[in-house]
Amino acid sequence: MNLLVCVKRVPLTGGKIVLTEDERAIETRHLGFTVSPHEECGVEEAVRLVERHGGEVVVLTLGPPEAEEQLRDALALGADRGVLLATDGGDWDPEATAAALVDAIRAEPADFDLIVFGNESADNANYQVPIRIAHALGRPCISGLKALAVEEGQLRGEQEVAGGRDVYVAPLPAVVSVKEGINLPRYPSVPAKLRARRKPIERRTPEPRPARLEMLRLSVPPGRGRRAEVLGEGPAAAPAVVGVMQELGVL
Amino acid sequence: MIGAIALVAALAVSAAVFARRVSLLVRLLRMGRPTGIDRTDDVPRRLEQEAVVVLGQRKLLHRLLPGLMHAFIFWAFIVLFPAIPMAMIAMVDPDAAPHWGWYEALANVFAVLALVGVAIALVIRKLVRPRRFEGSHLGEADLILAWIAAIVATLLLWHATEAPAWAWAHVLLILGFLAYLPHSKHLHIVTAAINVYFGRTRSRGRLEPLRFDEDVPEEEMRFGIGTVQDLTWKQMMDAFSCTECGRCQDACPAWATGKVLSPKLVIMGVRDHLYEEGPKALAGDYDGPLVAGRDSLEEMAWDCVTCGACVEACPVNIEQVDHILDLRRHLVMVESRFPAEAEPMLRDVERQANPWGKPQGERAAWAEGLGVRVLEPGDPAPEVLYWVGCAASFDERAQESARAVAKLLSAAGVDFAILGPREACNGDPARRIGNEYVFQAYAEQNIATLDDAGVRKIVASCPHCFNTLANEYGDFGGAYEVVHHTELLAELVRDGRLAPAPGEQTITYHDSCYLARHNDVRESPRELAAAVGTPVEMERNRERTFCCGAGGSHMWMEERGRAINEERVRQATETGAETLAVACPFCSVMLDDGVRSSGAQMRVADVATLLSEAVDGDRAD
Amino acid sequence: MSVLVLVEPDDLSRQALTFARGLGEPVDALAVGEPVELGGVRTLHVAEIDGYAPLAWARALAEVGADTIVAAGSDHGHEVLAHAAVLTGGTFAANVTALEGDTVTRLRWGGSVVEEARIHGAPRLLTVAPHVIAAEDADGAAPEVRTFTPALADGDLAVRVAEHLDTSTGGVSLADAPVVISGGRGVGSEEGFTPLEELASLLGGVVGCSRAVTIAGWRPHTDQVGQTGTKIAPDLYIAAGISGATQHMAGCKGAKRVLAINADPDAAILASADYAVIGDLAEVVPAITAEVRRARGS
Repeated sequence: MNLLVCVKRVPLTGGKIVLTEDERAIETRHLGFTVSPHEECGVEEAVRLVERHGGEVVVLTLGPPEAEEQLRDALALGADRGVLLATDGGDWDPEATAAALVDAIRAEPADFDLIVFGNESADNANYQVPIRIAHALGRPCISGLKALAVEEGQLRGEQEVAGGRDVYVAPLPAVVSVKEGINLPRYPSVPAKLRARRKPIERRTPEPRPARLEMLRLSVPPGRGRRAEVLGEGPAAAPAVVGVMQELGVL
Repeated sequence: MIGAIALVAALAVSAAVFARRVSLLVRLLRMGRPTGIDRTDDVPRRLEQEAVVVLGQRKLLHRLLPGLMHAFIFWAFIVLFPAIPMAMIAMVDPDAAPHWGWYEALANVFAVLALVGVAIALVIRKLVRPRRFEGSHLGEADLILAWIAAIVATLLLWHATEAPAWAWAHVLLILGFLAYLPHSKHLHIVTAAINVYFGRTRSRGRLEPLRFDEDVPEEEMRFGIGTVQDLTWKQMMDAFSCTECGRCQDACPAWATGKVLSPKLVIMGVRDHLYEEGPKALAGDYDGPLVAGRDSLEEMAWDCVTCGACVEACPVNIEQVDHILDLRRHLVMVESRFPAEAEPMLRDVERQANPWGKPQGERAAWAEGLGVRVLEPGDPAPEVLYWVGCAASFDERAQESARAVAKLLSAAGVDFAILGPREACNGDPARRIGNEYVFQAYAEQNIATLDDAGVRKIVASCPHCFNTLANEYGDFGGAYEVVHHTELLAELVRDGRLAPAPGEQTITYHDSCYLARHNDVRESPRELAAAVGTPVEMERNRERTFCCGAGGSHMWMEERGRAINEERVRQATETGAETLAVACPFCSVMLDDGVRSSGAQMRVADVATLLSEAVDGDRAD
Repeated sequence: MSVLVLVEPDDLSRQALTFARGLGEPVDALAVGEPVELGGVRTLHVAEIDGYAPLAWARALAEVGADTIVAAGSDHGHEVLAHAAVLTGGTFAANVTALEGDTVTRLRWGGSVVEEARIHGAPRLLTVAPHVIAAEDADGAAPEVRTFTPALADGDLAVRVAEHLDTSTGGVSLADAPVVISGGRGVGSEEGFTPLEELASLLGGVVGCSRAVTIAGWRPHTDQVGQTGTKIAPDLYIAAGISGATQHMAGCKGAKRVLAINADPDAAILASADYAVIGDLAEVVPAITAEVRRARGS
């Protein structure tokens, strides 16, 4: 099987988000980075499929040169090679992102049986890149999967909905997006990390398109307005807590 | 004539059996991987260890009765050695054997002492039955004791009766013993002296680094102990030297609180695996089972808090912690098999530079309002860099001691600064759980930060940071003068730059393992405690201290059995002291938890906090 | 300027409809399969499509058409509108909280960051951020109902629900529970959750957890509350031993009231909670349970 997984480099923000002075980005000095959680599970799922059915996993990202770190993490999970579409790290709107990824996919030597995305990225959460790419490639797209299986050229996926799971079936080649919880990504072994250091990563320059969802500025909303009202310390606060419960009618 | 033939025949058989076995042991040692640290340097101290530990039997004499028992037999072996060739001559030609009255008298005395030793040993083993023998092979020991008794008894009888038959018996028993020696744990009489020589002489907290260089082919890389082929020669020597005496088991806080881990059983497990699988590996093309797959070695490896009490207690200087850590390294780095609750910590260390997963940007939040200089890139280097550590930066109870240290250093006019957000975890939590790779990444990052900033001297308030910066960063190119905050503060008090008011409170000081055992820092914290109150000692103090339970990354792992910290708190309450002083943020959190859960009436505080209160004149609540 | 709202029979659709009515134009709605009861809508188009098939639903929306197409910020809403954006050539903005002229305000980072963006092109497709707009009923005449069969293209039904598996265990689900009590790293172990389970069952609620707990293996991912877990909107959310990382708080934004139980008076969560108890959750939670029993007994 020929699989492609798309990932995005996102910061690990912690308890409080701080913006840059120009209010157009998150201040990431002193922050660590990771592959967005849904996508990390996507890489793991793709690697498991290839372990079962044979084949290759390619991992693709659009991001700054530092995104190579996330590609290496994906390679350590078991992907075979990476492609980095290097930008200056600025904001790309979802349509421009999808178009650049489609360019990269079309430039690949062979068609992909399955292209895997995270349902939405942890930061911008635009919910549309996988679907736009599916249309451009003329493939069916199933979103938000919590379970995925491939049998004889057919894809079977499960979504979690109220009261149970919805099952979808579609022929390959296809595009899917997955949600965290579909699997628990393996903790990569050090030999795998060392091998990942040597796996090939190709760098290309993506063609930017004008933004149709053009970010003007960001802001951080205030918490819940003010700091929490401290009801008390230790077990002695229990009566006050029950008082609140009675007010809310949950008792 | 018969005598000569018999002697030659006995010698030949004994030597052949002995040599065959020794040849195997030597071949195993040569299969052993090289160690990660140089074990041939510092010759004077190595020789000192030989004199003190081997000849002087110091560690054994900690327990008087067993110590005397062993010393009698040990010294008897040495003094009685010349009697062997004498008896051999007597076998060939009874008249030719030399008779030096003074020597025979001396030999008789030591032979009797040896018998006394055997008697003491039997009393201990059969009547007293100490718990340290749980798990040991007592049958083999009985056989050896009987054999020793027979050897010295035949010598005494020969001296008394001059009948050649006793000389024959003596020689044959000894030659038989020689053949049996390398097949039993009595091998230690040969290997112990060697093992002591090659042990660590200083920086006992320094683990052996692994190498992940690009130019090493993956098949040659060592990721800890996977199969028998991954053992280093030193680990094999450790295995050869173990006598199953159980002193390490007695000292182990995990064993004392009902966990599976016994350092003795770890070494015995490694030894048994080595003897069973080693020959197969030597035969070539080996694909054998993991050492950790044996008995409950894997389970035992996770109970360890790396306190080093086992290493301290061992009379032949076996380094059990190295074995346990190397088992962990393989399990974590190759098998990815480790307690699941540690995974968030590992991910946080790897991606967010601290095991709490809190944003590095908030690392200096504890220092707000104290006027502490945060070193920015390009700033001039301070005289001393205060390495705060993740615990004091992010844990609310540990932050108190950081504030105290900062206030004291400022009050004493010390030119210091902190790195703030640029201080990443020193890597100890990752290293101690077995992830050497993540540790080294942080070592390199921190060394680059420190060197770029021109830092020469560092004071650390966490013993784990202190140990890593002082002893382990050197393996990666980081060379700094590193002191623990108690050492620096004690110096400032001695120099009069800090003037604490003496106080009445009774203080018992808890030695951190990483200070007192791994690094010999024992007196500075006591000076501070004595300066501010009335000190009283716990029974297990200084290098015999009992762990708080957080070491070996246990701060982030679940604990089975009874709680180590509660056991230590119980020991502290026995002193009746009002205050339990510590010098480590982990100890302070663990012991504070222990005090709360046991309802003890004790205040847990860092010596820096106590000093700060005594210098301020008021107590900060 | 026409406004068309995709509605399903759920609360989030009523919120989306309220948002749409606030745009100041006449509002039409589209439902699939069955009409949905609504107020303040001019025409309700009912598309004859059997079951959920995102591309077919999008086709129906595109066929009816409008300048502004709105849907709930649910999985279905995001998915259908993304398809509809491609079919109509429009621009899709997800999790929107406001629209003024051609400037849209939407949520990033699960709601911890707000983005102001200019939306170019037409039509504009917007999903409405859940639990930001309170659903309001409108008086007025019932809508004119127009049933139609959309002209579907080949492949529009290739992705559709083939089967529904019922996995409910009979209890309340995490997403619907009126009270949720979550534990974080501070709980310390799998067994440490027992007092939380006791309190939850006493209040007819459910136990949730943070991502660290899931990775530590103490509870399954289905219990995880957060940006990449389940998003909840209970009447009361109790977060015990949880530091308050934005990714976790994104999952409980919809909660009416948040009570934090934490030993650290400076924990980040206190800035996002309504109430706090400073202390050891292992002591506080059982104390609350005991107090609840006492209050009920009397």
